[in-house]
Amino acid sequence: MAYAVEMLNITKTFPGVKANDNVTIRIDQGEIHGLIGENGAGKSTMMNMLYGMFEPDSGTIKLNGQEVRVSSPHTAIRLGIGMVHQHFMLMPNLTVLMNIILGSEPQKRGLIDVAEAKKRINAIMEEYNLPVNLDEKIYQLSVGEKQRVEIIKALYRGAKILILDEPTAVLTPIETDRLLEVLRKLKCQGCTIIFITHKLREVLAITDSVTVMRKGVVTGTRKTKDTSIKELSELMVGRPVDLNVPRKEFNPGDNILELDNISALNSRGLTALRGVSLNVRAGEIVGIAGVEGNGQSELIQVISGMIKPTGGKVLFKGKDITNFSVRKRRLTGMSHIPEDRLKMGLAAKCSIRDNMILNRYFQKPYSRHGVMNNKLLSEFSDKLCKDFEVLTPGSEYAVSTLSGGNMQKVVIGREMETNPNLLIAAQPTRGVDIGAIESIYRRLIAERDNGKAVLLVSAELDEILMLSDRIYVLYEGEFVAEFNRSEADEKKIAVYMTGAER
Amino acid sequence: MMNKTKNVVNNICKQIGLIIIALVIATIFLALSGYDPIAVIRGLMESISGDIGGTIRWATPLILAGLAICVTYKAEVFNLGVDGQLIMGACAGTAVALVIPATLPAGIAAPLVIIVSMAAGALYALIPAVLKVYTGTNEVVSTLLFNFIATLFLEFLVTGPLTDKTSGVALNASAIVPKNTWLPRISYLAPSTANIGFYIGLILVVVMGFIFYKTTLGHEIKIVGANRTLAKYAGMNPNRSVFQVMIISGAIAGMIGAIEVFAIQHRLLAGFNPGFGFDGIVVSLLANNNPFGVLFSGLFFGALINGGINMERATDVPSAVTDIVMAIIIIIVAANFAIPRVRGYFRLYRKADNPDTGVKGGKTE
Repeated sequence: MAYAVEMLNITKTFPGVKANDNVTIRIDQGEIHGLIGENGAGKSTMMNMLYGMFEPDSGTIKLNGQEVRVSSPHTAIRLGIGMVHQHFMLMPNLTVLMNIILGSEPQKRGLIDVAEAKKRINAIMEEYNLPVNLDEKIYQLSVGEKQRVEIIKALYRGAKILILDEPTAVLTPIETDRLLEVLRKLKCQGCTIIFITHKLREVLAITDSVTVMRKGVVTGTRKTKDTSIKELSELMVGRPVDLNVPRKEFNPGDNILELDNISALNSRGLTALRGVSLNVRAGEIVGIAGVEGNGQSELIQVISGMIKPTGGKVLFKGKDITNFSVRKRRLTGMSHIPEDRLKMGLAAKCSIRDNMILNRYFQKPYSRHGVMNNKLLSEFSDKLCKDFEVLTPGSEYAVSTLSGGNMQKVVIGREMETNPNLLIAAQPTRGVDIGAIESIYRRLIAERDNGKAVLLVSAELDEILMLSDRIYVLYEGEFVAEFNRSEADEKKIAVYMTGAER
Repeated sequence: MMNKTKNVVNNICKQIGLIIIALVIATIFLALSGYDPIAVIRGLMESISGDIGGTIRWATPLILAGLAICVTYKAEVFNLGVDGQLIMGACAGTAVALVIPATLPAGIAAPLVIIVSMAAGALYALIPAVLKVYTGTNEVVSTLLFNFIATLFLEFLVTGPLTDKTSGVALNASAIVPKNTWLPRISYLAPSTANIGFYIGLILVVVMGFIFYKTTLGHEIKIVGANRTLAKYAGMNPNRSVFQVMIISGAIAGMIGAIEVFAIQHRLLAGFNPGFGFDGIVVSLLANNNPFGVLFSGLFFGALINGGINMERATDVPSAVTDIVMAIIIIIVAANFAIPRVRGYFRLYRKADNPDTGVKGGKTE
């Protein structure tokens, strides 16, 4: 049988960058094919060419053995190719129904035939188990539901080949499981699925075969059953990667951070934390596990001083700092890698330098009497860029020119440079490729080994298990369990995370 | 460093290009309205080159207004109330000038009325800032509405408490302020009304440049403007920055009021302000909110306005021609902001493999 999709010897150059260099990808009929690689490896470029966003400089594309020219997304849809983008292409103020049929409305006497549309969509939803309320507006939906709408939209247009661009990057673990379920179902119905990701576990869980890309070329194609995380990550990064960073023997010191019966409200004024207490000692990494939205954000904000608790006390190195300002807390030795680097951790349109100096710009010798020493601050920032391997021609460039991983390095560099007693690391590896993850893990472990306290908050259970000396499980604003490193395992924690036991 | 210079040169060329496009479009309008565009432009050029003093006179309030706008713009606060603040500054300055003894040496009286005007402008700007910080009132709306209060208050003053009782006819103006409060004019540009305010403007350009690029205050304003959550997270106080920029902006506005009264009119007139505040927005926009750029765009608009006035005097071409040019520049500058955004939207499709494309606008989620 002919391949469902063949992209042969594709080359695509953008001004200054060779995004794809003689890349060949073959995808079997009815398989789930993983396309993996680090940021900037050229995965999305390949798929955008398949979807007709732009045409390759050279090379051919074949569908079911037939050579085709995909000149626009319109052609792609006609050829039965559907794409779910990472950033959803939906109109927030329209209903789900209108979003799905937008551009290919069934018509009756010049009007939209809503009944017919609903009938067709309901059939799709039933066949693939994709329930969504058609009359809700898009802005009312959760991220997972929006994604389902995107998938339905593609199927409604008759897609037989479905491209998913990093579909799990924005999903919670439970939503991810549901998505994988849907994908299996789609596969059973004869759909061919291309799955772009850089989460290797998902690749192993769901795909039939994998193509790995690095720096615009294919570094390997494997049958999923014949490969391993280790091999795939090596192909991706180009060197062996080991996330199991060696660590010194566990030897905790004094309490650095203590929370005593802390309660807090979220931004909508609802109770987010109900009397949580914890302690983090010098020389240990304490992990907070839990499904996102169970009070993690508020917990971090109470500790870092961005919101005031409604009850309880925050102690830092034995001192009550509940009423300290953010700056005062930072000056007494607290650092904070925020969960959302673009919303909280960086000013994207400002220069790297402007972002790097945030902990230092007001201090001697970097400034005196409110006048900054710009030369010194630039040197400071250039040095941090070098130390933390930020890939940029210079620190006067805007942060928005960096890739996600490099942005994270700016944040981490800035927060670690102050040599804090306590480092709060929230989702430190989110949206970061595996090479960068390894270096972040090393840095966190190094902090611990140097006798610093680290509070790790992460939605990735693997990460928590791999790094933490002690683990608290947060569920609906309460700690429902506490584990030591030796006694923790994924199954035990997952039970508490979902609230099945407390 | 090379890169930086290149960037600056690039930016300047771009702004000059904008002006040229605006002038070209304006001439099309003129041609459509039945004027001879070439003659108009020549007339404009002649009145500009022949009357440097007039250019300086008009450029002074525009440069100051541009500075007042750009400082708030840096913090993403929009002060549309420069007009109101400069009126309040002028009112307070005049009121004080009319009560202090005429025997006070000018060296004390003149600085005193300037400081009073600046303080009044700053206080008047502080009200919307307080409303914004403590009640979440949108400053665009509040500052705009405060302009009307100020305008009506000015009319009340000049027809009521401060009205000139010595002249028999109703003038809608205050009495002439005592000579010891008058600000000196620039003698070699006489008989124009160009005055020492221009030097104050030059000094302020340098001071604002220094604040923006060399001080911690400027850095905080920049970060607050770029990302308020980040500012809070980094331990800054975004609310304090809002107060700071509004006070600076209002004080500069008050200074404009003082200059108009004490250097030019020598009395408080009901309609003394032709709308410098809003012109300041255009000045700042064209300068890309750069204080040094404000100097040049202020001079440019000053020349344009003065040229328009002179031309109207000499020919039958209305000075509204300059309004058209200004309006077209606003549109082009605004489009210049919009185009990269639209482009960013399309780039979303093209962007190679970056999971964090949330940076640029155009998300349709």
